[in-house]
Amino acid sequence: MSSTKRYWQDLSEMDPAGPPAKAEEFNEPMPLDQVLADGSITGSTTSRRDFLKFLGFSVGAATLAACEAPVIKSIPYVNKPEEITPGVANWYASTYYDGEDFASVLVKTREGRPIHITGNHRFGINRDPRSGKGVVNARVNSSVLTLYDSERLPGPMQVTEGNFVQQAWADADKAIGEGLAKVSAAGKRTVILTSTVISPSIKAAIRVFKAKFNLNISDGDPSVNASVGGAVDHVQYDAVSYAGIASANLKSFGKWAFPSYDLTKADVVVGIGADFLSNWGSSTENTWQYAQRRKPELATESLPMSRHWQFEARMSLTGANSDRRVAVRVSQLPLVVMALHDAIAEGVGGSRISNAKLDESSAAAVAQCAKELLAAKGKSVVMCGVNDEGTQVLVNSINTMLSNYGNTVDIRNASPLFQGNDAAMAQLVKDLNDGTVGALLIHGTNPAYTLPNAEKFKTGVKKASLSVSFSSHADETASLCQWITPDHHWLESWGDHNPKAGVFALTQPTIRPLFDTRQWGESLLKWSGTDTDWRSFVQTVCKDTMPGSWDQHLHDGVYQGATEPTVEPLTFSADVADAATRASESAQGAGEWEVELYTSEALGSGLHANNPWLQELPDPITKATWDNYVCISPEDLSALTGKSFKELYIGQESPAQVLKVTVNGTSMELPALLSPGQAPRTIAIALGYGRGANGERVGRAACLRNPDGSPAPVGQNAYPWTTLRGNTVRYEALNATVEPTGGTYAVALTQTQMTGMDRGSIVKETSFTVWALNKPEETYNPPHTLAVHEDVNNDGKINALDRVPATSIDLWAEHPVAEVGHRWGMSIDLNSCIGCGACITACNSENNISVVGKDEVRRSREMHWLRIDRYYTSDTHEDTPGLSWAGKLASMERPSLSPSVLFIPMMCQHCDHAPCETVCPVAATTHSEEGLNMMTYNRCIGTRYCANNCPYKVRRFNWFNYLTEDFSQVNPAWDDLGRMVLNPDVVVRSRGVMEKCSLCVQRIQAGKLEAKKDGRPVRDGDIETACSSACGYGAIIFGDLNDEGSKVRAGRDDPRGYEMLEEVGTHPNVNYLVKVRNTSDDDNHHA
Amino acid sequence: MSLVFRLLKRSTGLLGHVAILAFLLITTGASAQIDQEVYDKGEKIFKANCAACHKPDKDMTGPAVKGATQRWEGKGDLHEWIRNSQGYIKSGNPYAKQVFEDHNKIIMPPQAVSNEDIDAILYYADNYAPAGAKPGTTAPAPETAAQPSSNWEWLLITGLLLLVVLLSLGGVRHQLSNAVREKQGLNPEPPLGTWGRIKRWAGRNKGWASVAVLLLVVWGSVLCWNFLFRIGVYGGDKAEHYKPSQPINYDHTLHAGADNLAINCQYCHSGAEKSRHAGIPSANVCMNCHQAVSEGPATGTAEIAKIYEATGWDPTTMTYSGPEKPIVWNKVHNLPDHVYFSHEQHVAVGKIECQECHGPVDTEMDQVQQWTPLTMAWCLDCHNTTEVTVAGSDNGYYKEIHRRLAETPMGQRELRKYLEDEKITVRELGGWECAKCHY
Repeated sequence: MSSTKRYWQDLSEMDPAGPPAKAEEFNEPMPLDQVLADGSITGSTTSRRDFLKFLGFSVGAATLAACEAPVIKSIPYVNKPEEITPGVANWYASTYYDGEDFASVLVKTREGRPIHITGNHRFGINRDPRSGKGVVNARVNSSVLTLYDSERLPGPMQVTEGNFVQQAWADADKAIGEGLAKVSAAGKRTVILTSTVISPSIKAAIRVFKAKFNLNISDGDPSVNASVGGAVDHVQYDAVSYAGIASANLKSFGKWAFPSYDLTKADVVVGIGADFLSNWGSSTENTWQYAQRRKPELATESLPMSRHWQFEARMSLTGANSDRRVAVRVSQLPLVVMALHDAIAEGVGGSRISNAKLDESSAAAVAQCAKELLAAKGKSVVMCGVNDEGTQVLVNSINTMLSNYGNTVDIRNASPLFQGNDAAMAQLVKDLNDGTVGALLIHGTNPAYTLPNAEKFKTGVKKASLSVSFSSHADETASLCQWITPDHHWLESWGDHNPKAGVFALTQPTIRPLFDTRQWGESLLKWSGTDTDWRSFVQTVCKDTMPGSWDQHLHDGVYQGATEPTVEPLTFSADVADAATRASESAQGAGEWEVELYTSEALGSGLHANNPWLQELPDPITKATWDNYVCISPEDLSALTGKSFKELYIGQESPAQVLKVTVNGTSMELPALLSPGQAPRTIAIALGYGRGANGERVGRAACLRNPDGSPAPVGQNAYPWTTLRGNTVRYEALNATVEPTGGTYAVALTQTQMTGMDRGSIVKETSFTVWALNKPEETYNPPHTLAVHEDVNNDGKINALDRVPATSIDLWAEHPVAEVGHRWGMSIDLNSCIGCGACITACNSENNISVVGKDEVRRSREMHWLRIDRYYTSDTHEDTPGLSWAGKLASMERPSLSPSVLFIPMMCQHCDHAPCETVCPVAATTHSEEGLNMMTYNRCIGTRYCANNCPYKVRRFNWFNYLTEDFSQVNPAWDDLGRMVLNPDVVVRSRGVMEKCSLCVQRIQAGKLEAKKDGRPVRDGDIETACSSACGYGAIIFGDLNDEGSKVRAGRDDPRGYEMLEEVGTHPNVNYLVKVRNTSDDDNHHA
Repeated sequence: MSLVFRLLKRSTGLLGHVAILAFLLITTGASAQIDQEVYDKGEKIFKANCAACHKPDKDMTGPAVKGATQRWEGKGDLHEWIRNSQGYIKSGNPYAKQVFEDHNKIIMPPQAVSNEDIDAILYYADNYAPAGAKPGTTAPAPETAAQPSSNWEWLLITGLLLLVVLLSLGGVRHQLSNAVREKQGLNPEPPLGTWGRIKRWAGRNKGWASVAVLLLVVWGSVLCWNFLFRIGVYGGDKAEHYKPSQPINYDHTLHAGADNLAINCQYCHSGAEKSRHAGIPSANVCMNCHQAVSEGPATGTAEIAKIYEATGWDPTTMTYSGPEKPIVWNKVHNLPDHVYFSHEQHVAVGKIECQECHGPVDTEMDQVQQWTPLTMAWCLDCHNTTEVTVAGSDNGYYKEIHRRLAETPMGQRELRKYLEDEKITVRELGGWECAKCHY
């Protein structure tokens, strides 16, 4: 008997026409009739039985064929190099310098392949003596990957009308040599265009080259090289220019140079639009110096915790770390400098030079800032990022009035970095177009992409009778040249560097060149008729610069020579009034919308856009990957689009609003990201994106390809909006129009606008005064308590006041790790963490973490084992009166317009009571007696229960096999060359398994083994995880918690220490130290 | 003689025995004229002290030793010359000086050998017969011996015999019953054929028939299962171990065997103490000896020439002049990629003998084979039973581990648990934890 009952899922099913979905299931009728009408089918002689026979045979054959075990080949060396033992890593001290970042590094090689880069922990200007580690940023430690970029040029290329033909070096040398001779004979100029050169050997090679082709040897002051009319000129041009500072120093002190800062001596640090912790100045040096003065425990009477002011438009990494951040529009930054100058001048008994009009709150902040600076005379520093000579002269004047020269700022022993001269570059473009330049040799710079007037440069290059690029890729500039004679990757190179007065560093090759490339210095020598190999040349030059044993210097990587004594600072002698006029001029012309063009933490100037690790490294603040975008204040965007904050939420299925930004008649449509803390009516757009838009082969990940092969650049190029004003390039456009297009664009974020929501168990922050004065830790680090059904407070009643600390309640028996054997753990000091993300890329490199590409990141499927959570503060607090409970929660979700920002590195917490372990049906994730939460990939069947049950959301699932062709555009380990970067000590995970931070168990095992072999206990500091070793400032400390004397144990027992989500009772082996800001009540009032 | 025994051991078949015995008789007869004892002694001393630079019959770094007695006849004191050549040159012997200069003035270091030793060396060199002429070394013994039949083949034959007996018995029974029926005046039963009879029996005894069918099915499945388990690299005790052919017929028993050269395993597999990989030696390690040794006892020059080809060594000019060609070996011991195994841990710290996992490579494997299963269960078994000296260890690492166990309440509790079986095993120190091998 059948039932007449009907069930339906939705009302549409009751419609006799059926639900619309069903009706639309087959848009077109299936062509069954057509198929059946095909005579060849009905007339087929293959019967069903035949089919089954074939099937049976094939299955049988396949089964038999599968029976044979594969034979694995093993090929030992014929002549094993003495220093190589297969399976054992060799480390080499070397030096990274790309024209922007400098770092003394250690390169880890396995069987002759470099696979990992970390800071030199013994020597170098980027070494933090306190933590005993070397600072590297994400670009430095990711650069190992670009070595294995399969789009690198295989050898010297002759380019004729866009066709690249590989030639032999001998032919290239002959053709270029003849070309140079012809140019020289014709009396035309030869120009060597480079980024800032700090290598004494390269300078010497250029001298040799000049001696050959030029009569007028002047390798002097870069400030004058534009005017030298000799036959060979060396023009230095930096994509992101510091020419404003250099020329201000020329005006002020008669020295074209970038000053050397010492932040370890600064009690008060003021940044005005200078992102000095990320992308401004010698950042690998700045960061550790800064972090050293930010640890409250180390503060003494004479060396108090430093106080950091930041005036800026965009919320930068530096601003996020500041104690007091003041958001001002970019056009106002020169005015801030002027106002500060006035205030300081008044303070030291000088006179005002201007009447800069600032809005009330900014003016008050400047006044307060000046007061603090004056109180710390000689122990303060003001740094300004505005690339304008006038403004920078005023900054010099401020630092002079504060007696900072010779203390925190050194111009006598100035930095050899950042010598780029915008005026010289502009002159060169002009000369190229005038046809006075016969030959152009380009190294380390990409003006066709980075120049504001790139089009003019492009036409100019065509007019040179010889153009040679040393680029490793056929990039925007190289593909315009007639010849590309590719330089080695730095890991294949010999080189020397002089990054700071008196400091010399060596680069040594860690692999034999992969391609038929040649070091560009050697090419210069060859063309000058000198047949020396580059190594011997460098060695000869170093005899003078680095006296002593070459082997020792090579071993250390760094040689510390003498510096000029700094007792007598140079005298400031610039016209301040004139500078003020020029500074105020540069602030004029501000329209309704201003655009700030910045360099992002990951990509910098765009030189490394071909590095997928960097493309997928989330921006520290916006957490966006694989794109550039408009950073805009939430209020502004809401007003522009007429949408509420809720509607502007960006997520997997909620794309970003697209804004059309127009500057000087050119427009770009870019997605808009809410950026709390952004100055009103000022938007910010990152440079360094949009590489290879014309189809140049700029490297694997820099420019993706559409299915039809056309280029799909990552982001858009904002360099055309930079402008040459006076003799410097400016990175702001003061008059722009911004309008919503109504369109949307999917942006891949790894985290949305999250606030701490007053959950004291995630983000804990306090001020130095509270920390210092109210030592009882309950005030700033209260333990989390839970109410129990027991009268614990003895008030005779059982109610919500009966609370016990969360840690005292436990569901499980104690795990036997405390004091038994090892107990690996981490302690992360939120005060030392500046959020740079070098740990993430170090982890990628150490643990073979797949790159998944934008679309997968958008679906929250990024594979990073370590992430840095960014939290904003909100204006509403738990105790804010006048709001309903729900209203309070809703508004606590909204970041403050002027928030403070906190970074929390988050990786597997290795909980003693791990929620993931209890839910795994196959025991693929278990606990070790050393406190590790172990993940066994081959046992994992991919239920993902563990990820669901993890309160920290640190588990990552392999949705796909990322080593397949589907991910070939983004995943470096996809091809044979890219695979060489993989760490052979860590297995490559396949589709369908869960993975997560292992606390670098491979390094733990190796470290224990070393100790056992030596017959000694594991020493504290012997084992470092990839992240802790990459964190030069010592924010991440790894070690054995059972070792009473260890640093990590000290972190564990620190009164600032707390466990993340303590109330969940997971008992993590990772703890955090409360962030302490050097704030006063006044700051809190303004924040 | 050891070689002969080895060959005897290898060829288990009767034919092999006969062939070798015959061969032995012939060759020992042929070499009966020389004094084997002095020859062997000379060979031993020569290989230990001289072979790096001299060959018995050819010039190498130094001159051929063969014929030295005649060459020196009346020209000086050969013994003194061999013991301390430089000193002897200084004494002013013109022939010594000439020999020194003829051989590129390469200085031969003084040798601590007695006159008796020198005589033995010279005797060995003068009577030296190159490999191939030596007893039992002409060629590898032909392996024509029949393999012993395995048990189940015998069973099959017995089973077949039984079947024949049964069938003939059935025939006899049929004949007899027909005779009986004939006697009773009945018609003889029509012949049913074997299958027909089986069917009739099955129809009458359904229970037994089902049992028989069931047994057959079970037997079939077991056979099938066993067959499938023989597929793979490790056959256990029942089947051949994985023993891939190799590009060079390298004989471990010759190089590492205690009766032969007895070279330490780690002389070649030098990674075992310092790396996760023990490593296959690079060809330059082979050349440490094979620059001098160009002929093997079993294979003559053929196999060693392959090393020369790989390294580009020209034995006639004694120079590395040719191109290098890496040797492509077939890996014998394979672990999956997701296992991290460290030789270093087991050899340098655990002090485990190579043979415990690799089997009697030095004594039995003229061709390397996989001796142990290398499965995870096998690893864990060993970790479960192997004891680690923690208390009273000289190793500072384990001292510290013991201190932590002994000095804390939780440690003491754990230690009691560990010591329930009176020893601390690898397992108790975490040797069964996933992330010890999988990461």
